[in-house]
Amino acid sequence: MRALLALCLIVAYALPARGGESPWPALRGSCAGEAAITWQAPATAPAIREWHFKPLSDRRFQVGLPVWASPAVAIIDDRPVVYIGGYDQKLHALDLSQKTRLWFQITNGPILEAPAIGYLGNREIVFYSSADRSVYACDARTGRKLWTRELVAPSNTLGFCWLSAPFLHEGVLYITCFAYDRALARNAQSGWLVALEMRTGSEHWRREISQGFLSSPTGRIIAGRLHLYVAARKGLLQAFHASSEGLETLWSFQMAHEVLGSPVIETDGEQPRLFLGSKFGRLVALDAKTGEMLWKRMAGNWIDNTACVATVEGESMVLVGSHDYNLYAFRAHDGEMLWRKRFGGEVYSAPSFFYLKGEPLVAAASLDDHLYVLNARDGSVHSIFFTGQAVWDKVSKGETLWGSPVALEMEDDTVIIQGSYSGLVYTLPLLGECSLRSKMQAASTLWIGLGVMAALFLLIILPVLLLSTRPHKASRQAE
Amino acid sequence: MPEWLKPILESLENHIETASANIKLLDQALSGMEGSYVELLTILALGLLAVIPVLVPSRRRQALRHLNQIFGIAIFIFVVYTCLGVFGMIRNFHRGLNEIGRENIVALYYCSVPVTVLVMSMIFGPTFCGWICPTGALQEFAGMIFGRWHRCRKAEGYPFSWKMLAMTILIALVFLGWMGYLSVTRVFFIEDASIYWSEVLILLLLLLVWKMGTWDKRLRKLRVLSFFIIVAAAIASLRITSPVHFGFSKVYDPASLLATVMVVLAALTVPHIWCRYLCPWREAIAWAAKHSVRSLKTDHEKCNQCGVCDMVCGVDAIQKGVIDPHECHMCLKCVDACPQKAIAVKDKWKAES
Repeated sequence: MRALLALCLIVAYALPARGGESPWPALRGSCAGEAAITWQAPATAPAIREWHFKPLSDRRFQVGLPVWASPAVAIIDDRPVVYIGGYDQKLHALDLSQKTRLWFQITNGPILEAPAIGYLGNREIVFYSSADRSVYACDARTGRKLWTRELVAPSNTLGFCWLSAPFLHEGVLYITCFAYDRALARNAQSGWLVALEMRTGSEHWRREISQGFLSSPTGRIIAGRLHLYVAARKGLLQAFHASSEGLETLWSFQMAHEVLGSPVIETDGEQPRLFLGSKFGRLVALDAKTGEMLWKRMAGNWIDNTACVATVEGESMVLVGSHDYNLYAFRAHDGEMLWRKRFGGEVYSAPSFFYLKGEPLVAAASLDDHLYVLNARDGSVHSIFFTGQAVWDKVSKGETLWGSPVALEMEDDTVIIQGSYSGLVYTLPLLGECSLRSKMQAASTLWIGLGVMAALFLLIILPVLLLSTRPHKASRQAE
Repeated sequence: MPEWLKPILESLENHIETASANIKLLDQALSGMEGSYVELLTILALGLLAVIPVLVPSRRRQALRHLNQIFGIAIFIFVVYTCLGVFGMIRNFHRGLNEIGRENIVALYYCSVPVTVLVMSMIFGPTFCGWICPTGALQEFAGMIFGRWHRCRKAEGYPFSWKMLAMTILIALVFLGWMGYLSVTRVFFIEDASIYWSEVLILLLLLLVWKMGTWDKRLRKLRVLSFFIIVAAAIASLRITSPVHFGFSKVYDPASLLATVMVVLAALTVPHIWCRYLCPWREAIAWAAKHSVRSLKTDHEKCNQCGVCDMVCGVDAIQKGVIDPHECHMCLKCVDACPQKAIAVKDKWKAES
């Protein structure tokens, strides 16, 4: 009986991939970083409503720490399911239509990067990494663990180990990994690009491509072959031809400064462009085929995260947030700035691009504790949501995704899903009822606040102060 | 808002923003230090700045003090990332204290500046206010423009002045105009609450036009309220940016910039107005320096009550040789100005000859 079951499973997973493409194959859903999927909801499907999921309810470790990772979304059995990890060391599968957690899987370290979702046969599988040095594969429906692959061997002197978000392509999982060993004898500090078999987790190959942190890999098919791109923290962007057979370096490009995000690539066109921001605040556009620089533009401060390439009315644009409080939109063709919108704090998140009833919108979170939804045509504000006070004030910059939003487009509404520093995962409908919609946008609020403060000062604080104080002792002595 | 005014303000804002962004070009050379423990060298830098008042010769002391203040501004803008202004320093101190035992390095990082300033004040007296503080320095430099007028008003006991009224109305108009522009161009959040401090500053100016002579000392108690509001906000995890904060964060922060401009403009009218009535950190330093090793002492046998010290003091902390230690900034102007040499720095640790 067991053998029969095993045979059934092997046959099921060995079937060719459905539709040929993974539902969420990379860090931000696609190589363009749009972080959005469309759901043709059946007529009987319930509307997606506002939901604040607190993943730390049955806390196991590090109480109260926030969600840093970006979510991944897929349609499982005709219902939208979000996969997100956090500092509680768990990957959570959240059913948005029922507002319930379908399952969770525990790892041995915080989950700091986004999962990826691919097909094995007809089944959706979620692949994710954890700070416990391992990559995991689970059935997206049930949470049943398929395999675990430890990428770095344990050691008493192992300092830190960082695994990126996976990238899935034709049955191969590409992932980067950085680990250092503080033992003098080993003195190891390596950043590897690793290829794993999606079905079994077995390692095809690994190559050391840097001695520092590496961004999550991303790639697309150009001229019939997979081009894979990885940026090293120290600013070295490398392009490879990758397959299960091995890795061939195509070109490399040295940025002048450190890089905190991952590269994104246009999905259209024969001459795709690649975009990457740096810690100096420079956004560069490269020819994804040759690595030749096409243009560069400066933001006012650090570019903390991955950009997003969107197409609005036939024109391709790059959207990127910066530490200078602005979200920028540059024309992909020549880098001309189309618009920029100033927020109340640093824009640490990667933007998400999506449509709401045909209107192109972009969402990005800011360190002012708000999530902004803007019109992608001109940067005008569509909605603002209060996503909770940060657990820490002015957290250090860069490093990871910091809870970037993703979008689920439907026929009659679009919902944004955002893992927040406040320790919650928010599901926010743009048209439906939502309690977190900011009420502080009206100019009248500001003037009322100033009036209240003036009244408070003149009618209460000042009389109380004058009645309760006497001239200072020193003055009396002087008199 | 009139349509013709909007493009002018937009152009002005763009210029300010560009200038603010350009600060970071200078800052890039130091960005490698940020996030590393090398940043803790700020303790050393602040310590050195604090020792300078002890070391400098009395002959050119005030010129050297201004140099020290300019150096202090540069140090705070380009090196001391953890300060974030008078409000931010209290907030970060609270955060640092919370990290003790959990992340000791982080705790050290956030407590380094406030602890250095407080310990420095306990030993050297409130020299931070008089010799280092960038907000204080900005006010002092602004106050020099109308220095003679301030001294005349002080000598007359701060009577009603049409000039002061006109200046106050002008400052209030700048505030209201700027707020009008900001209210239609950006969204405000709790962190922008520093505009309320600016508003109170203007209300104070209006009161001081008539009542400075009688209410000056009493209004100084507002600092205590200001201190407790900021402490409560820190405990409640509310982030309120302070004046000059934009200099530390190196981004264009309209509310913080507006608050800074208001402090500077108000200091043209009443010297050190922020330090006198609203600075929460000034109150904390005064408490820390209450029993400091170094303090000022007047030899009343030598003092002939000529009033020269009254005239030079920017914060009215001395009257006819009687020093109010709670208000003194330890700038030592009175020591240098006294014709009888009756005021001197007393050092408790120094053996009396």
